[in-house]
Amino acid sequence: MSKDVVTVDSLVKQYGQLMAVDGISFQVYEGEVFAFLGPNGAGKTTTVEILECIRPLTSGTAHVLGYDVTRNEDVKEIKKRIGVLPQEFCALDKLTVKENIALIGDMYAKHLDIAEVIKLLDLEDKTNEKFENLSGGLKQRVGVAAALVSDPQLIFLDEPTTGLDPKARRDVWAVIANLKKLGKTVFLTTHYMEEAQTLADRVAIINKGKIAVIGSPQELISQYGGLKVLKICGGDKKLAGLLQKKYDKVALNGNGDVLVKIDDVDEFWRVMTTLTDIKVGKDIEIQTPTIEDVFLKITGARITEEGELK
Amino acid sequence: MKALTIFKAVTKNWMRSRSGLFFSILFPVLLLIVFGSIFSGIGGSSQYRLFIQNFDLNTANGELSDLSKAFIQALNSTEAFGITDIPAGENATEYAREVLGPLGGNMRILQISEGFQGDLLNGTLKVRIGIIYDTIQYFEPYLTSEQKMAVMQGLTQIQQFNASIPDAKASLMIMLDPADQSAAMVKSIVMSVANAFNYELIGAENVVEFNETSVTTKRYSNVDFYIPGITAAFIMTNGIIALTATTTEFKRRGIIKRLSITPLTKLDWIIGNVLSQTLLNLLLTGIMIALGWVIFNVRVIPDVLSIVLILLGSIMFSGIGMTLSGFIKDVEAASAIGNAIAFPMMFLSGTYFPLEIMPSYVQAISKALPLTYFSEGLKHAMIYQNPEGVYLNMAIVAVLAVVFIIIGSLVTRWKEK
Repeated sequence: MSKDVVTVDSLVKQYGQLMAVDGISFQVYEGEVFAFLGPNGAGKTTTVEILECIRPLTSGTAHVLGYDVTRNEDVKEIKKRIGVLPQEFCALDKLTVKENIALIGDMYAKHLDIAEVIKLLDLEDKTNEKFENLSGGLKQRVGVAAALVSDPQLIFLDEPTTGLDPKARRDVWAVIANLKKLGKTVFLTTHYMEEAQTLADRVAIINKGKIAVIGSPQELISQYGGLKVLKICGGDKKLAGLLQKKYDKVALNGNGDVLVKIDDVDEFWRVMTTLTDIKVGKDIEIQTPTIEDVFLKITGARITEEGELK
Repeated sequence: MKALTIFKAVTKNWMRSRSGLFFSILFPVLLLIVFGSIFSGIGGSSQYRLFIQNFDLNTANGELSDLSKAFIQALNSTEAFGITDIPAGENATEYAREVLGPLGGNMRILQISEGFQGDLLNGTLKVRIGIIYDTIQYFEPYLTSEQKMAVMQGLTQIQQFNASIPDAKASLMIMLDPADQSAAMVKSIVMSVANAFNYELIGAENVVEFNETSVTTKRYSNVDFYIPGITAAFIMTNGIIALTATTTEFKRRGIIKRLSITPLTKLDWIIGNVLSQTLLNLLLTGIMIALGWVIFNVRVIPDVLSIVLILLGSIMFSGIGMTLSGFIKDVEAASAIGNAIAFPMMFLSGTYFPLEIMPSYVQAISKALPLTYFSEGLKHAMIYQNPEGVYLNMAIVAVLAVVFIIIGSLVTRWKEK
């Protein structure tokens, strides 16, 4: 059994009548990548900032690395041991990459060699570049470097890829995957389904201040994601009718594709045999459910690219 | 130690910012050069333009009268005026407007009336006779009866002669534009010359002697007096405008939040920023004085007291800057509010204009402004070498520095709500 790095119990954060975090409980285990997945305003950042000791909680308890986030003496210990990439990370514009990372490093009693951190984040050719001249993806990488420079036990990455282009996003994913390889515990918040599914060992789906479900992506998908779907591209009503005589879950989508939901491998082969028998010469795809299907199933909504519920 | 790291980082960040450098160092320097050039006479001494139309002609030869020419010469000898003659036959205002050209300029016209010389001589004669008459009357009680009789006869003849002299005064007419800010000065100089002319003609001698000496031990130029004022004003703007805007920007962009997650304390952050402001202000003072020394040959030298005062002033204005940025959310508002506070303070605290010429209510307001004490203290330290004046102002600045640093620390948010 892995050790708890973060333990949260019945955590509440209230602003007047607004319940930003509504009695959530969860644990983060040592060495895992834990993702908070939810739309904007779900309470992700509020929770993370309570754990980072920069936002007070209303009620409940929260412990980070065994320290209580509400005790001043413990807060000092927590701050020494965590690394943080805040949402929309910014640094001093006129300082170079190296100077900005060193600035954060110098806030700690001990820190890693700056050159090593720069190398780890593949920022060597940007070492002496001013922060203001970097692209969004590179700025995020500097933010991750700053989060790593103190060699923390736990790293919070709050929406690390929001606003980045697809390539920059995948670059940051590679960095996060590398952190896991280094044995770091990572607490990630995101509204990107693919990001949570790709990077996280466990995902907590949070919406309106409450955690809906927690589990590994596979557990959640198998529990809530529904059946696999066989898609016969460019099928027609006649084909759909033929298949409906033999199988229960057959439908046509808006593009005219025939969709057949399958329960298991045996059913898959039965459908394939039928298609061979009737000589269907169409492209066939197998669609597996994703975290997005889980989210849709649980919340009844999808999340847009901007992080809003749709 | 962490405060030193913050000090190094924010100073480096500022030094590499062109706009930061411009407004904190170059702008004050430019202002000093402009003020210095105006008031030190570099580029030629400045003169008031004055048009003179002389109507006083000699009846015998039709040329300008000797006394009217002497009066114009007396005006010229003051070196205060650049004089342009208007021919007697011209319309004075139209002529002056034409000479001034499309860009305009202040129209100041002095007209010497016809009969100026005659009236001047008659007037002088009347005054001199009056003096003789008064002098004789003064000694009357000491005379014998025979002497009195003879004197009375003489006085009667003098009175008869005096009555025969026309009772007119030499007349000058000056036309000024009410919008002309130098009008009062021009009028005052012309009147002084006219009075001197009067005294000379009646043979009066000065019985009150007027001497001038400097209240300072060194001989200072105008620019010397501007250096403490401009320095104080820009130390104030560095704190109230620049620091407020920078801190607000750091806050908006999450830089302060990022630092607050590290073991850095709020106190370290504040000390780092105050140190940075102090260095900037000492640098500004040094550059201003060095520049003044090279270009304007100033003699003002900052002593230990001025350096201590600059340090306290930096803390005080940093505290005000921190206090403001605690309440302001965006940079535009920070700039606007900073300017709204700094600029009135600059003009109401006697930094550029002496408080003595201000209305009493402005003088009362000035007593509530931190810049008044800082600027006065610097003048006492750098110019008057008057430690008593420095200590009093320094004590007030020190108290305000402590107060504003405490308020600034309290309103600087190190934790979200």
